[in-house]
Amino acid sequence: MNEIRVGGMRFALDLSQPLYEQVLEQVRSSIAKGEIALGEKIPSVREMAQALKINPNTVMRAYQELERDQLTETRRGQGTFITTDAGKVSHIRHRLAEEAVTEFLGRMNSLGFTAADIASILKAKGDGAK
Amino acid sequence: MKAAIKGEGLTKRYGKRKALDNFDIEVPEYAITAILGPNGAGKSTFMRMLTGLVAPDSGSLTVLGERPSWRQNRLVSYLPDRARWYQGQTVESAIEWGTKLLPEFRRDTAWELAGSLGLEADLETEGMSKGQEARLMLTLCLAREVPLLVLDEPFSGIDMISREKIVLALIDAFATRRQTVLICTHEIAETESLFDHAVFVKDGRAALSGGVEELRSRSGSMQDIYRSLYG
Repeated sequence: MNEIRVGGMRFALDLSQPLYEQVLEQVRSSIAKGEIALGEKIPSVREMAQALKINPNTVMRAYQELERDQLTETRRGQGTFITTDAGKVSHIRHRLAEEAVTEFLGRMNSLGFTAADIASILKAKGDGAK
Repeated sequence: MKAAIKGEGLTKRYGKRKALDNFDIEVPEYAITAILGPNGAGKSTFMRMLTGLVAPDSGSLTVLGERPSWRQNRLVSYLPDRARWYQGQTVESAIEWGTKLLPEFRRDTAWELAGSLGLEADLETEGMSKGQEARLMLTLCLAREVPLLVLDEPFSGIDMISREKIVLALIDAFATRRQTVLICTHEIAETESLFDHAVFVKDGRAALSGGVEELRSRSGSMQDIYRSLYG
């Protein structure tokens, strides 16, 4: 998987998974990480499809979903822009953090650690980092 | 979702061999559909049926609601799997030829395409590489504003750079205009991200077909599926 940069955003697409979900998730995570700023214009469907070498319908579907979540807004004749609402961005950051924690807990559980074990490991790490 | 092409129970025999054996296909409008499969699976027989060159022994086939025939030339832009040029033809004279003779041919679009595909006006067809020939044929094919594009093996036997340029030109053309695109190919590497819909042909039948995103979530990449079907 090659990393492709498009207008500050980073993409790495895996052809064995639905591409639309990956484009959507990766734009969301670029917004959460601040790789693309609030109110900034995002590439057009055509530009994004060209850069990622994927079907424009796939990009369109991801863009429609972003718009439905109100993370982007389309201004007639000007293009599509990231929301200027910081609350919406903070909302995705929290959602992504929650997903990361769920994934982490799942892995720890599969290794046989209990919630108490995990807490003490995290505490020890935290103390070490101070 | 309306079908631009619909084939039901298509069968074609050559002697004892069935090139197509009860083949079903639906090509949705305004999408890029790929017919995939190795040589000899029945893809070319189907492509010849689409242009009306071969009639099925049984089954029915409609293209844009009609039975396929040469009359559909005004509605369908067909990219053949091999090139034929006149003596002394150049990129420029090929585009002039297209302007005079091909229905709905847009000269400006053709020059834009030739430019983005890296073809100089005075380049002669004699002495072109396979990749350059493929790019010129694609220029003539994509410059037509018709509802249906049918591309027969647009990627085979050409260099990586030509292939990438062709993929980008297709994305661009598809993003700009609402056309239905059918691509018949056995080259999946570097091209599968283009497809909305795929039909895998095996022994003259449709072994598997569906939306590419749904196929990905169920069975992985088109390359994975290709390997498991034909490997």
